[in-house]
Amino acid sequence: MNKLLLASLILASSLLATEIPISKVSLHKFNKSVALNAQIIQLSNAQQSVTSLVAGHLEKYYVKPAQKVKEGQRVALIESIVVSKMSADYLALKKQLQATDKNYKSVKKLYEKGMTSMQELNNQEIKRSKINAQLTALESQLSTLGIKAEKLKSATANFVLYAHSAGTVSALLQPLHSSINVSEPVINLVKNQAYYIKSFLPLEYATKVKVGDKIVVKYETKDIVTHVTQILPKIDTTTQRVVVLSSVDEKVENFFINTYLKSTVYFGEESTHLAVKKSALSFFNNEWVVFVPNEEEHEEESGEEGHEEHEEGSEHGEHHEEHEAPYTLAVVKIIAEDENFVAVLGLQEGQEYVSAKSYYVKSMILKGALGEHGH
Amino acid sequence: MLEKLIELSLKYKVLVLVLFMTISAFGFKAYQEIPVDAFPDITPKQVVIYTESPGNSAEDIEKLITYPIESAVSGMAGVKLIMSNSIFGLSYVSIFFEDSMDIYFLRQLVSERMATVDIPRGWGKPQLGPNTTGLGQVFWYEVKDSTGKYTLREIREMQEYIVTPLLKSVSGVEEVISWGGQEKQYNVLIDTKKLQNFDVTYADIIQALQSSNQAAGGQYLEFNSEQYLIRGAGLYKTLDDIRNTVIKSSVAQSITIGDVAVVAPGSAPRFGAVSIDGEEAVMGMVLQRTATNAAKVVENIKAKLQTVNSTLPDGVSIETIYDRTEITHKAVNTMTSALISGIILVAIVLFLFLFELRSAFIVILSLPLSLLIAFLLMDYYELSANLMSLSGLAIAVGMIVDGTIVIVENSFRKLHDEPDAPKVEVVAAAAKEVATPVTYAVLIIAAVFIPLLSLDGLAGKLYSPMALNIVFVMLGSLLVALVLVPVLVLLLLKPTSSSENVVMKKIKKVYTPLLIFALSNAKKVLIAVSIIFVALAYVLTQQGREFMPSFNEESIMYRVIAIPGTALTQSVVTAQMVEKHILKTYPDEVSSVLSMIGRSEKGETAQGNYMEVLLTLKPGIKDLEALTQEMNEELEHKFTHVAFIPTQPIAMRIEELLEGVKAELAVKIYGDDQKVLDAIAQEIQSTLASVDGLERMEVESQLGQAQIKITPDYLALARYGISVDEVMDVIRNGIGEEPVSEKIEGIRRFGIVAKIKDAKKDIESIKKVTLRSKSGALVTLDQICTVKIQQGAAFIKRENLSRYMVLSMEVEGRDVASFVAEADRLIKTKVNMPTGYYIGWAGDFKNMKEATEKLMLIIPITILIVILLLYTVFNSLGKAMIILLNVPFGFIGGIIALVVSGIYLSVSAIVGFLAIFAIAILNGIVLVSFIDELRVKFPNVSLKTLLKDATLLRLRPVLMTAFTTLFGILPLLFASGVGSEIQYPLSVVITGGIISSTFLTLLILPSTYLLFYEKEHKC
Repeated sequence: MNKLLLASLILASSLLATEIPISKVSLHKFNKSVALNAQIIQLSNAQQSVTSLVAGHLEKYYVKPAQKVKEGQRVALIESIVVSKMSADYLALKKQLQATDKNYKSVKKLYEKGMTSMQELNNQEIKRSKINAQLTALESQLSTLGIKAEKLKSATANFVLYAHSAGTVSALLQPLHSSINVSEPVINLVKNQAYYIKSFLPLEYATKVKVGDKIVVKYETKDIVTHVTQILPKIDTTTQRVVVLSSVDEKVENFFINTYLKSTVYFGEESTHLAVKKSALSFFNNEWVVFVPNEEEHEEESGEEGHEEHEEGSEHGEHHEEHEAPYTLAVVKIIAEDENFVAVLGLQEGQEYVSAKSYYVKSMILKGALGEHGH
Repeated sequence: MLEKLIELSLKYKVLVLVLFMTISAFGFKAYQEIPVDAFPDITPKQVVIYTESPGNSAEDIEKLITYPIESAVSGMAGVKLIMSNSIFGLSYVSIFFEDSMDIYFLRQLVSERMATVDIPRGWGKPQLGPNTTGLGQVFWYEVKDSTGKYTLREIREMQEYIVTPLLKSVSGVEEVISWGGQEKQYNVLIDTKKLQNFDVTYADIIQALQSSNQAAGGQYLEFNSEQYLIRGAGLYKTLDDIRNTVIKSSVAQSITIGDVAVVAPGSAPRFGAVSIDGEEAVMGMVLQRTATNAAKVVENIKAKLQTVNSTLPDGVSIETIYDRTEITHKAVNTMTSALISGIILVAIVLFLFLFELRSAFIVILSLPLSLLIAFLLMDYYELSANLMSLSGLAIAVGMIVDGTIVIVENSFRKLHDEPDAPKVEVVAAAAKEVATPVTYAVLIIAAVFIPLLSLDGLAGKLYSPMALNIVFVMLGSLLVALVLVPVLVLLLLKPTSSSENVVMKKIKKVYTPLLIFALSNAKKVLIAVSIIFVALAYVLTQQGREFMPSFNEESIMYRVIAIPGTALTQSVVTAQMVEKHILKTYPDEVSSVLSMIGRSEKGETAQGNYMEVLLTLKPGIKDLEALTQEMNEELEHKFTHVAFIPTQPIAMRIEELLEGVKAELAVKIYGDDQKVLDAIAQEIQSTLASVDGLERMEVESQLGQAQIKITPDYLALARYGISVDEVMDVIRNGIGEEPVSEKIEGIRRFGIVAKIKDAKKDIESIKKVTLRSKSGALVTLDQICTVKIQQGAAFIKRENLSRYMVLSMEVEGRDVASFVAEADRLIKTKVNMPTGYYIGWAGDFKNMKEATEKLMLIIPITILIVILLLYTVFNSLGKAMIILLNVPFGFIGGIIALVVSGIYLSVSAIVGFLAIFAIAILNGIVLVSFIDELRVKFPNVSLKTLLKDATLLRLRPVLMTAFTTLFGILPLLFASGVGSEIQYPLSVVITGGIISSTFLTLLILPSTYLLFYEKEHKC
């Protein structure tokens, strides 16, 4: 394969003053985005509630109403049987794992001495992996609740709620020592900054955007990341566009309400396609084409390389010129594109293509048809 | 009448001398004033109408501009051909008229017709092309900044507003064309997102820009008996004026341009660039006005350059790139040195033959006098001194003296024979005796060259000055011979014994036995020579042909063509690679390389894929031809993505001037629809594929140009309340950067462009260009239009109001005429031609056929005139025929010389044959008239003896006229300077022809005479 590439490079450089770069068709992730016009607004009910992720028993409020809180400050403590069970399970499993590990090692030693069967060793291995998997799952669940599993010494039922943005506590919603269900709001916060970005989205994209998608706005020199919180149900009649709201969570200095700015919406979905570089495209006979090295030519070439390796490059060059065209064209259909890549139909994964300077290749192919006058 | 003239001039000899002195003085003045150029003006009578229509496609330009113009000018008096080319951004219509029409009158007529043409708003204004000749680009220069302080844009600005106005004021300059660099404009870069923010539309911005940039006059008021003018000065002065332009105002404040756009200087989209030695540059080309003296114009320009250089900032200066006068001087020098060495050689030959100072002086004096008379006539008929006209003189040098020789010789003989008679009477008698044959000989020479004057097209334009000059100088020589020479003979010549010099004696010793042999075997010799002639005539028909030998301009130039649709930026890259490569590979031969890419902005039809590369060579290159050859191969090999076509500056312009197709044979298919034309071309190709003799067939490619086509969707437009007009304005002004107004800075004017930011980043960004409707709806282009990428025409060529397509062919091993007949029949019977479609044959074949047909008519007429003239001299048809028979003998040598030196049969060679025609007849006249004279004197001597004696006696004058002509032409044969190669075939043919003609005249003519008159004489 390397030889093939080498052959094609010699071929290209001998024919042209310019080297023709070759790449291979590969899979590329296309993250769809669209630039929009947006406006900074402030909403009056900029309330946000802190909700519990597990059911449990409200033990303690760390804050009082009207108290200012910072982002990440703990606000309440919940005792949860779920958490307690999870942490206990975790610790038990950890012990089990140590035991199975020991077991496994001794069986392995026995096996190496020929004193036990392969099947026995495998059984031990399966057992160990199973426990390991359970442990990992638990670990990640605990982590989403803000509990660091590796630091657990004993089982705990404590689950701490944190404020997810800076603000002022407006209300403690649940009485102390009451039971709390999953996703039930516990505390209301009024955000310090109640800024939202109002983006005007053309209708064609409206169906693709979901709550939670990222919208990035550029304010002065800073890129501000926001997330869609609401897609308004009515179209804005003047602009004929769908309005999308996204909350600005970070603190921005000198944020002026009603300022217009540019926003970029990133659609959640990511698609993967076979893609070529944009610089490979050329328009030919009413179709998009990509130039690919002529296969037959290459095989012939590589064979020759094997036989006559002592030959000089220049001789190769002369030889090549007798052949018709070192490249052929492949018609492609463009299905998606981003800044540098286009997703195409009509090529196979791993196929070589001319990734840039396609103009020179096209010129070589068309040159024969040039008139004498040129104008 | 002739006798009266001679008598009168002998009577008033002082008057004659004074007259000729005056003529000489005026002739010399004319010689100094005659316009000097490399070539005769070969431009067809042509008026070009070009319409710059920025940003528009070939298809639309053809429909909306080219066709209306074509139909307006068709049907004008004297129109021969209308050709047009519609390309991206330009319509180019060129109208060819009959050559007899006056160009200013034609331009007037065309402008009147132009007034009736309706072209849609915003699509450009038709303009007449500059009134210059095809070779009018007399001076090219670079505006060079050696400090590196100035940007290309600033240099271009200097070129346009400092250099151009100064050079345009030079007398004889029609136009100065700027090429390269960037043109400044003021960009109002609109961020379309802001249109929503401020509740304005794109149209509002254009409206604001246009209505703010205004000036007005407020008449005057009177105050205290004095008048005060009132002036409203609202034109933009600074960029802030533009920024502060109010778009609209709400309750308390206004929205200005500065709110929605960034205003900054920028560069206009361009169609051409210039690169010198790998760096972009700015150049200018000076066009000379029709019918002005190129050398003089360049001289004036050069004189003006000092002023220009002093006006330019320090470190910026004008550097000459190409100066037409250099080549002109070289070409004219080649010809003048040929002419002068011809004169000297002729003088030496005369002296050797005459061996007498006084008579030699008279004969030699007739040379410059005849030339001065020719210059006088050239001046009167506005003929320029150039390669062709001067070579006419050079060819004629040897023939000029013929008349004088005859008169001097005769007088000399008579004075010697009758020493006692009064000198005046002897001279008068001697002159009168030969006056008639001399006059007719000169008339015959003039008659022989008349067919050249009837040639059409390029050949006619090139060779008619030569023919005219031969006629002029021969008429001059006749005047000198008849009027001045008798006077000079009377005053200068003394009766002395003429001694036969040694050379003549030796020649006679060899010649006599040959002559006796020829006379004794008259019939056999005649038959043998006739067979040789027929055989050689056949050889001649097999000789390769060419229109004109290529002219060596001592320079190397390439036309470099990339594929259609190539971006200008890419072409600049290619050109710079080529420049650097040439400089690196040939450091000892090439000092500088200039590339002109695309077109200048004055109605040329080259596109971004076209480059012209001119090499400045270092002096002292030994073998230019080999270097050119090597370089051609080297470049072809190195840059495989473009085509290199070697050419030279003048040759290239000539190629461009040739009307029609370059191929040997071509079928033009006329019709409206490109697709149908394609189909017909294919059908013809397959039909003719099997025809015998077809070597190669090629369709002129109409390779496409990729287009992004934006078609409005009317339903969508209705939905948002946006008009097509608004969309098109956005495309024209916002994307296409057509200026909406102008910022005037003194005499400088720069476009103000309402450009949409980032619209041309890539194809996708075009689709996303945002429009705002009056009601506020924000829509992108692809919401209201279909945006499609497609292949369109790169250019559309039309001829006589119809699109056409060219199928060029090469025929080998078969007579072209019969091939055409068969192919034409096949096409008519087999190819399905829809209504409105037809074909026509074109190419060199057609031109050659037309020329041949014309010559077939004119040559017999010429021969008839010559026979008539000969008949008048001898009063005998038989003798006229004998002399005419002499012509093929002359051709024998010409053909042999041509074949041996391996030269193609070209117009130049044909002119050589015409000259031989004249020389052979002159030789014949001299001999036959003398034989007749002797026959009258000695009626009883046998014809054979008489012929022998007469020929031997006449040997000296015959040899003398032959040798003078031969030595007159020899410098042309050995000339090596610029332009010599054009006259080379001619001189080869004449040299060969003179030798054979003289030799055979002296042998065969007496024999033929014997055969014709033997019986009569006996009776």
